[in-house]
Amino acid sequence: MELLKTLSLLVVIAPLVGAAGAGLFCRQVSKQFAHRLTIALMGFSLILSLYVACLVIGQDQSYEGVLYLWGQSGKLTLNVGFLIDNLTACMMVTVTFVSFLVHIYSIGYMAEDGGYQRFFSYISLFTFFMLMLVTANNFLQLFFGWEGVGLASYLLIGFWFNRESANQGSFKAFLVNRVGDFGFVVGIAGVLGYFGSLDYIPVFAAIPGVAEANTLIPGTSWSVISFIGFFLFVGAMAKSAQMPLHVWLPESMEGPTPISALIHAATMVTAGVFMVARLSPLYQYTPSMQSFILIIGATGALFTGLIAIVQNDIKRVVAYSTLSQLGYMMAAAGVSAYAASIFHLMTHAAFKALLFLGAGSVILAMHHDQDLRHMGGLRKQMPITYFTFLIGTLALCAIPPFSGFFSKDAIIEAVHSSQIGGASYAYVCVVLGSFVTAFYSFRALFLAFHGEGRMSHEAKHHVKESPWVVWLPLVLLAIPSVIQGYMMVGPMLFSEPSYLGNSITVLTQNNVLMRMGEEFRGGFHMILESFGNFPLWFAILGAFSAWIAYVKKPELPPLCVKRFKWLYTILIHKYGFDDFNDWFFVRGGQRTAKLMYQGDARIIDDFFVNGAGRLITWCSATARRLQTGYIYHYAFVMLLGLMALLVWLMFR
Amino acid sequence: MIEKLIFYVFAALLIGSATMVIVSRQSVRAAFFLIVAFCASAVLWMLLSAEFLALLLIFVYVGAVMTLFMFVVMMLNLDQESLQEKFVRYLPFAVLLVALMVGVLVYAMKPGHLGELGLAISPHPSADYSNTKALGLLLYTHYVYAFELAAVILLIAIVAAIGLTHREKSRNKRQRIDAQLAATKADRLQILQLEAEK
Amino acid sequence: MNFTPPDFFPAILEMLTLGMTCLVMLVYLFLDQKNRGITYFLTQITLLGTAVVAISLHGSPEVITFDGSFILNSQAILLKIFILLSVSFVLMYSRTYIRENDILHGEFYLLVLFSVLGMEVLVSAYSFLTLYLGLEIFSLPLYALIALKGNKPVCQEAAIKYFIMGAIASGFLLYGISLIYGACQSFNIHEIISMMSLSIHTEPLLLTLGLVFMSAGALFKLGIAPFHMWVPDVYEGSPNAMTLLIATAPKLAGFALLTHILVEALPVLFPQWQYLLIAVALLSMAVGNIIAIVQDNIKRMLAYSSIANMGYMLLGLIAGTPRGYGAALFYMIIYVVMSLGAFGVITMLSRKGFELEKVDDFKGLNTRNPWLAFMMLLILFSMAGVPPSAGFFAKVGVLEALVKVNIVWLPAVALVFAIIGAYYYLRVVKVMYFDEPLEKTPVILESFDTQLAISINGLAVFFLGLFPTTLIELCQQAFLA
Repeated sequence: MELLKTLSLLVVIAPLVGAAGAGLFCRQVSKQFAHRLTIALMGFSLILSLYVACLVIGQDQSYEGVLYLWGQSGKLTLNVGFLIDNLTACMMVTVTFVSFLVHIYSIGYMAEDGGYQRFFSYISLFTFFMLMLVTANNFLQLFFGWEGVGLASYLLIGFWFNRESANQGSFKAFLVNRVGDFGFVVGIAGVLGYFGSLDYIPVFAAIPGVAEANTLIPGTSWSVISFIGFFLFVGAMAKSAQMPLHVWLPESMEGPTPISALIHAATMVTAGVFMVARLSPLYQYTPSMQSFILIIGATGALFTGLIAIVQNDIKRVVAYSTLSQLGYMMAAAGVSAYAASIFHLMTHAAFKALLFLGAGSVILAMHHDQDLRHMGGLRKQMPITYFTFLIGTLALCAIPPFSGFFSKDAIIEAVHSSQIGGASYAYVCVVLGSFVTAFYSFRALFLAFHGEGRMSHEAKHHVKESPWVVWLPLVLLAIPSVIQGYMMVGPMLFSEPSYLGNSITVLTQNNVLMRMGEEFRGGFHMILESFGNFPLWFAILGAFSAWIAYVKKPELPPLCVKRFKWLYTILIHKYGFDDFNDWFFVRGGQRTAKLMYQGDARIIDDFFVNGAGRLITWCSATARRLQTGYIYHYAFVMLLGLMALLVWLMFR
Repeated sequence: MIEKLIFYVFAALLIGSATMVIVSRQSVRAAFFLIVAFCASAVLWMLLSAEFLALLLIFVYVGAVMTLFMFVVMMLNLDQESLQEKFVRYLPFAVLLVALMVGVLVYAMKPGHLGELGLAISPHPSADYSNTKALGLLLYTHYVYAFELAAVILLIAIVAAIGLTHREKSRNKRQRIDAQLAATKADRLQILQLEAEK
Repeated sequence: MNFTPPDFFPAILEMLTLGMTCLVMLVYLFLDQKNRGITYFLTQITLLGTAVVAISLHGSPEVITFDGSFILNSQAILLKIFILLSVSFVLMYSRTYIRENDILHGEFYLLVLFSVLGMEVLVSAYSFLTLYLGLEIFSLPLYALIALKGNKPVCQEAAIKYFIMGAIASGFLLYGISLIYGACQSFNIHEIISMMSLSIHTEPLLLTLGLVFMSAGALFKLGIAPFHMWVPDVYEGSPNAMTLLIATAPKLAGFALLTHILVEALPVLFPQWQYLLIAVALLSMAVGNIIAIVQDNIKRMLAYSSIANMGYMLLGLIAGTPRGYGAALFYMIIYVVMSLGAFGVITMLSRKGFELEKVDDFKGLNTRNPWLAFMMLLILFSMAGVPPSAGFFAKVGVLEALVKVNIVWLPAVALVFAIIGAYYYLRVVKVMYFDEPLEKTPVILESFDTQLAISINGLAVFFLGLFPTTLIELCQQAFLA
């Protein structure tokens, strides 16, 4: 066990050391040193976390314990500790693997950037916080990591801080996440208030006993578990960009592309999914929250996907597809198919990072032009990028035998066989979603790589394949995108014990995966079976429609836009979330603030605050005159003080 | 009876001369009064049969320290008048404080408070009793630690005095090359715009 | 007369220091001008070597020797360790300063060592006699040190002020000792305790009188209002290196002086001295925090800040529980660490012929030397009590100890003053980071050890905030025995 603790500590600390080394001395160290240091430490971290995964999953070890006591207040002890079990191990490998590749990729992508060292420092710092988040054994540390990744995300979205849009994007991400954090803090406070502890183990142990309790806030009849679960989920909604708190994720694309791949596709945004899985012992006892999660997730899966169809920025297309896939994961978590959810998280991490990095490679070749309408025909100039991007797209569209197929099909099947409230609605959403997914993915693929080049004549000649540091990660990510699903579907979802072991809790009546497992006969059979089901045909149909619309008959899409003007308007306005937020929160807030400000400026500011300040300054200026500099004055004060104390104490 | 008489006479002398040390106009006179105060307190010590200490006080303080002190005071030639002025100005405060302090002390210290346990004068020692020896024995055994520390204080005083007075730089005239090189025009030359005389 | 030689071993730290001091003196005398730099290294070896011995002594059982006038317990050892280390840091910071400002090397190091010896004696004193001797041994060299720098009238004025005020305070202390002696017939703390517990008819008024006089002497050394008047003038007038010295280690010694008198010798008078301390603590916090606001001389500002901080430290003693004493000790140690850093930076930024004094001299420090500015930032945040810095936990500790004994109004008032105090610390931060520098030249620290020292110092403030438990426990244990 001690071995596991030491290993995990090293895994977590190594990126921090890298971040400190590259960041604190960013003016002193060279570019080479910055990336060598951080990549070496990241690689070290990756290898160790693979070893941890071997120990945990292969040999069934686990560790739960306190590293050190951070603070103590009354009965409350605040520890920093690790909970290393199967779920953590899966997440650690995913995070360090993608992070490692993104580090390498960034050498090429950021090569000409002025803030090179700062960039490497930030992504290492992010990895540290993410690892803190997944290894936490208590809510407070979870929150620490949660806020830490939020901070890193903020810094990285606004990395090009002299770009107005980047500042706006980082600002928006930060604000929306504040909303989530507020919920999260309320949730944590609820846990602390009701269970009196913040450590997972005692809290989880106490949950079954209080499933029916309604006494968190006197005078109300809310179920304790639902109350806590809801507020914690609000946090997850913001971090994992679930509707309606998803608005920040598209804006976050203002950051450098490696960041979009690492933070806003593979790792940070999945923190909410991870949290729901980690807190499965809690959500199992609140059916209403499960339905809520399911509906939010399924709605997001379909409707954000629709928006992707009308986007022209290649990164935004991928961003909306991320939103949609996060919806799938949440839906799976909603129907208690946590394993499917985590499985999709892992496959998605690989193929979505691949797509983002592929998009980045395209953007690099296009000299930072991201508009799909200016691309086309890149297939010939950039074969490696094209090929890997194609693999990513196939995986995303759940075409067998690519990895996305297994995880997504499992989710759809799980939603299908679930009986909780809202399951049938969700099923419709996720099935239609697979058509939409295929349509927009292939649209982006065809627009970028097929057809005639629409860029200027001059630019056409400059397009060439990216350097090896850029395409190597693509190839390395393409491998799991192909084989990971087939290899892991059995042990991850259906075998007993599975890769996740007993790190998640599912009540028997909710256990859809177990029921599905009874019919499971291996990955190959699953592929064959899928040909008899809707989702696959929907996906193929989607891809085919995209081919017709963007390759065969390019005049078709403008026609549709004209025909379905209203639908197009709705989608281009993203269902009006942004407009509503802008009208209600931003401008409404401003108006209220202005009103309050006027009252505040006169009464509170002028009279109380400045008045107190003036009073103290006046006292201060007066009192300093006592300090005359004459020894006999000083001696006199001393004697006077002494006499006063004497008289007071003796005649008291 | 006679002892009591001696005590009161010399105690009064001690207080009187100590007061004069503070209030006298000239520092030479103040120093003389200090000598008187030392002598008076030596007599008081004598009354307690502490001959060694009494003589030590006279030899060391009156004989050596105060003589040196007188030299210094005479050479310094302080400005008397300005000191006097402030003294009068703050006199009321001082008197008030002193009165208050004396009042409090008198209130707190009744004669019985101090004497209860062992201030009774010890019986007259025998003829071969040596005060000096007794003191020495005590000093080098029981109080050896404190004694050593007192020696350290003297050592510190020597080092500090040397450090404060011995300034090698000011005594011998040397060329300071670094200062010469570091000098700029502004240090040496000042250009004045003189009004033209009409 | 039977005489058994006392056990000398417990005084090993003092003997080491004294022996090495004499060695340094001889080496200094017989070396020619060029090789005199060696005195610095010998001094550092003395300090660090003694500190190592002190650390190795930690955990040994309590010993009283020299006929009850000397005590070695965990509290004394802890204080000695920190005194030695802090003086060692002082010397590291001021080495360049001493060299550049024509201060006589040898005398400087000698006097510092003597002062350290005095502090050690004071910390280990278990009789009023040794207590007083220790006090004088550590104060006398300080008076001389301030006046050591050339013929500068400002320094000499500061030295004279400190000396005369110190003499008055010593007078208070001695008078108090004599009163207590009159009541108890002894100097020995051990005997005084047994005397007090025995004789119910010991006159309380007399003891109260003695108590007030003695505490006045001790409070003076700590610079607590109304005995604080010397602090700003002396801090300002002294050369920066000396300010650094008198603002750090002597505070620990002063703490020992106060606890010896109040906690160890006169616990019977707790009701009296609790009121006394409440009064002076309130006054100190008010005077320190409020007057500091209008200071534009940073040394004066930090002087008032020290007055305020000493007030906070007293809160721990006011609680009157071992927990409170431990919290006060922790506060003291943290204060010394912070003060060391703050004055260290000031000393480092001073050059030949330029004394850094104004707050404005810190303008734009971030652009001139970001790392130094960052260290200063950590220290100032800690002084302002921003969590999770060490200063925060120190304040929490003393306030918590008070709340534990059901005194709530005092912590509330203290918090208000802490908020006022945050203003002037953060003003320096603002000046460092947001104002244009007065001169553009980057600040370069020549010696590596200085850089290392300030880094250790600044990060210590930060990490003691992250991992405060060990030190807090050590401090608590010092008063539990």
